[in-house]
Amino acid sequence: MYAESIDSIRFSVVSPEMIKKVSVAKLAIPDTYNEDGYPIDGGLIDQRLGVIDPGLRCKTCGGRAKSCMGHFGHLELIRPVIHPEFARLVFMIMQSTCDNCYRVLVSEKNIDILRSAEDEQIASMAKLKSIKKCPHCGAKQKKLKFERPTFFYMDGERLKSDSIKDWMSKISDNDLAVIGVDGNTVRPEWAILSVLIVPPVNVRPSITLENGDRSEDDLTHKLVEVMRINQRLEQDIDAGAPQIIIDDLWELLQYHVTTYFNNETPGVPVARHRSTRPLKTLSHRLKGKEGRLRYNLSGKRVNFTARTVICGDPNLSINEVGVAQTIAERLTTPMHVTHWNIEKAKELIDRREYPMATNVINSEGVRKRVTESNRIELVSSIAPGWIVERQLVDNDVALFNRQPTLHKMSIMAHRIRVLPGKTMRISVNATTPYNADFDGDEMNLHIPQSIEAIAEARYMMRPTDVILTPRDGSPVMYIDEEGIVGAYFLTSSNTYFDKDEVCSMLAYAGISELPEQDRDGRYSGKSIFSVLLPKGLNYEESGGAVVIKDGKLVEGFIRKQTIGGGKGLLLKKIYIDYGGEAVADFIYKLTRVTYMVVYARGFTIGIKDYLTNQNIQRESKKIVEETREQAHKILESYKDRSMEILPGYSNRETYEMLVHAATGNARGMGVKYIEKTFSTDNMAFLIPTLGARGGIQNFVQMLMFIGQQSVRGNRITRGYSGRVIPYFKKNDKSPEAKGFIASSFMDGLEPKEFYLHAMGARDSTMGKALVTAVSGYLMRRLIHALQDIYVESDLSVRNAAGDIIQPIYGSDGIDTIYETL
Amino acid sequence: METKRNEISYGEPVGVVTAQSIGERSTQMVLRTFHSAGIVSQVVTAGLPRLIEILDARKKPKHPTMTITFDKKIASNYEDVKEMKKRIEEVRVSSLLESFEENLKAGTMVLNLDKEALALRSITVRRVMDMISQRFPDVELSNEGNSVSVRSKKKKEIRAVRTAFVNIRAEMISGVEGIEKVVVNSEGGLFYISTNGSNLKGVLEVNEINPENVYTNDMFEILNVFGVEAARAAIVNEMMQVFAIEDTKINVKHAMLIADAMTQKGVIKSIGRHGLAGDKESVFARAAYEETIKHFVNAAFFSETDRLKGVAENIIIGRQITVGTGRVKLMIKNADLEKVKPED
Repeated sequence: MYAESIDSIRFSVVSPEMIKKVSVAKLAIPDTYNEDGYPIDGGLIDQRLGVIDPGLRCKTCGGRAKSCMGHFGHLELIRPVIHPEFARLVFMIMQSTCDNCYRVLVSEKNIDILRSAEDEQIASMAKLKSIKKCPHCGAKQKKLKFERPTFFYMDGERLKSDSIKDWMSKISDNDLAVIGVDGNTVRPEWAILSVLIVPPVNVRPSITLENGDRSEDDLTHKLVEVMRINQRLEQDIDAGAPQIIIDDLWELLQYHVTTYFNNETPGVPVARHRSTRPLKTLSHRLKGKEGRLRYNLSGKRVNFTARTVICGDPNLSINEVGVAQTIAERLTTPMHVTHWNIEKAKELIDRREYPMATNVINSEGVRKRVTESNRIELVSSIAPGWIVERQLVDNDVALFNRQPTLHKMSIMAHRIRVLPGKTMRISVNATTPYNADFDGDEMNLHIPQSIEAIAEARYMMRPTDVILTPRDGSPVMYIDEEGIVGAYFLTSSNTYFDKDEVCSMLAYAGISELPEQDRDGRYSGKSIFSVLLPKGLNYEESGGAVVIKDGKLVEGFIRKQTIGGGKGLLLKKIYIDYGGEAVADFIYKLTRVTYMVVYARGFTIGIKDYLTNQNIQRESKKIVEETREQAHKILESYKDRSMEILPGYSNRETYEMLVHAATGNARGMGVKYIEKTFSTDNMAFLIPTLGARGGIQNFVQMLMFIGQQSVRGNRITRGYSGRVIPYFKKNDKSPEAKGFIASSFMDGLEPKEFYLHAMGARDSTMGKALVTAVSGYLMRRLIHALQDIYVESDLSVRNAAGDIIQPIYGSDGIDTIYETL
Repeated sequence: METKRNEISYGEPVGVVTAQSIGERSTQMVLRTFHSAGIVSQVVTAGLPRLIEILDARKKPKHPTMTITFDKKIASNYEDVKEMKKRIEEVRVSSLLESFEENLKAGTMVLNLDKEALALRSITVRRVMDMISQRFPDVELSNEGNSVSVRSKKKKEIRAVRTAFVNIRAEMISGVEGIEKVVVNSEGGLFYISTNGSNLKGVLEVNEINPENVYTNDMFEILNVFGVEAARAAIVNEMMQVFAIEDTKINVKHAMLIADAMTQKGVIKSIGRHGLAGDKESVFARAAYEETIKHFVNAAFFSETDRLKGVAENIIIGRQITVGTGRVKLMIKNADLEKVKPED
């Protein structure tokens, strides 16, 4: 199952001998199919290279299209050609060796020193290139020049590939070792090609179009051209053509080979298809996001998955996922047959409807589909050691994932609940780690297929296992929005409920015990809340603002800090003292109770909560006027040069910044006023005050003024003729002309304001799109740089090479989830 | 007991955890260098650009800045600190000029010094002249009020004269080189100074400053002056600063891990192509990251061996990864195996 036997992989350059050895056919005809549409022998689709058409048999191994993986061929280049990717390295070797005696430019004495060093040292090629005289034969070194992609000059004279190849082959293995090349595995002359390996047809399959025409792969096209020029070169040499013609053809051959390897080689014109589309050659296949490495090798595709739209379900625990019947029927989980469950396995195979077995795998590992015809036979032959693949049922585990997968909580293991409908459902409280909402989001479901994977999912990847994020130790699943409001109503002082109300509340949360009665037969909110807490919990928050003693809330009301995002102190306390399961339980119960509280008490907001009055109007005007004055003052000081210039900025920049700070501050003043004048009796005001949703700024924008709009972090200034939009007078310096909006959303915006607002909105939308790209790349770099770093059993932090990065993780070895910031 | 349970688990891929913690937060950051809202005292690159600057280990930060403190005696007195500001701020001849005239043919130049600028920095015309004559023995100086006439002694080529004059105007009169702008700030009744531009070595040579409490945001200066350990601390500090400005929290251990990884070899290595990710031992890991072809070609030519120890390589060859539960093997003694009977 695993590639356990691979110990290491060594890279080297293929030798011409090796190419000839692996090659099954020497190709000579620069063509593909003959007139009858049959592959030409010795052509590029030679049937010895494997077959791709169904029905044909490979002439080398006799396999059919499916079973034969293909075989390499080769073609002999009539004149050697430099491998473009190795050209630079060949040049470095040339610089490091004598052009007369082909010895490395290191004296015998120094070679000995290098060789005798503990782990054999390598002479730096960069240093050798400056040596003017050979230490062995004393010859003065000629001036070497390399021009991209494959041109070499010695004392201004062009060196041809064959003489370079000669040079390379005369360097001894011992000398090569001095500059770090292992002559046993790689000879530098192999970098100059005399034989070109031709990949099997399976690598470059031709496709038959609807009209019966064949269309060849880009690689085949390129190889045809290489062969065509090679053939012409051979004919011309045989015919004794003048040297110039031969040289031209030789260079053309070099061009085709260069583009065959890399059609993006700098300094080389791009080889194009007939349709002028650039050809995708070898390097394209490996390179980049869609290349072999990132797309196929680092990215694995898997089976046993499902993807649909998600929606919320308040009746699910955070550990559950609702799965549609249709999905549960198609996905399977392996059931290992043992003495203990063989009866159940037989029963599943025998079933014809939903929870049934779809496949069985016998002890030899042969998979068989359970069909009507073999059902009885399978039931009788099944034995321990077999595996039955059965449809998903409630409580199976599945990995649930939403992209972008930014952190480990983006893939969690949920318990399946097969539910009606076509969507997958999750608890609303479990959306935060996925950053999911239900406006059309889709998510992926994976069914683990080995016992190890199932165990790992079940015991390490449940939402309850990862409630606390290692980022800052805060919970990622918590009570939000109406839950916060409900908890406030429930636990603030003097809240009492009738027995009926309490019963319905607790019943909805699945609790059947009533708390103690408090006063005249009523129940206090605090004691109801206490029922939800784990037994014996002790907790204190911010110096006694909230106190829980022995599982009873005795002081304070529950706020965002306690159960909400960001801090979630109580949730963390429960996690540490009682474990994740208790947190999930608490979140589930509290969510439902708070919903019922909000429902029983009634909670609503309307336009009248946002109504403005004369006082607010007056204050708004005052703030706007003050802002205007301040801006004017700054303008005056800018004009008469009395403004103190901020370090690092020009006059203008300082002015802009000061005015921006002043106009931006207006909203802050509005916030202060609103906070002062509104009371929490106003439900609309209560929401941001509790931190349930939104901020006071939204209030200010609705009933005071919208405030400063900004583009690129500054006031809006760009425009023609010294104005942002033609509405304004030229060179208008007032805050309004630069994006300060004095109207509120309640008043409505004037056309000029509407435009300014749209400019700000557009900037922020574009900004968001840009950040995702930049931070996505940052994340990729971080992951690549750090992915091998892990904690060793002695708590030291090490990388793949075993180097110690930290002697003890984080200097104390404590997991970050247990720390509070 | 308590600590044992809170211990980090064996095999935990803390590198990935760190990368995710930082990467996930960076998605929510703004892309522009904004200035801490309200009153601005100095330019600082903040947010995502600064984070990238740190992780890329850029040789010079876009906005180098220093914080310099003084002993209580000086620090409690605004005037004294202002005096220090004059000592530290870099002053060049050009910044004292009101205007200048030069005649390159005749080899003369008249520098009209700005009276106010001189007074502000307590520099006399005499001092400017001394400075110039000391460093440029080839010129003759004479002054008249606030203007200084410069005359080249020898007849030289126009080009040479011009270079000399340009150099004279760029000559530093006082202060520490590289400290372009200085502002006096106060905290808790004590005054300190913040600068634009950074020169740790130069500032440390100023006697009056408190050498134990000087800070620069240029980690390479810290590396060169105080060594890697200090540079590591600087990276941690700067990263935490970025998140603090963004008003998001992140556990220091993540910043520490990155800083430790970056400085592990005794120099500051960047995250990315030319640093940590590009220097990996494994050919596959490097090829899967960036510059695929280059890595394969070099690996082939120098007969490199991939020992398949890291994560990326093992994913490529289809083997279980070498971190987390992938490091753990389950074993059972043969003797114990015999005890297990299927009938149990």
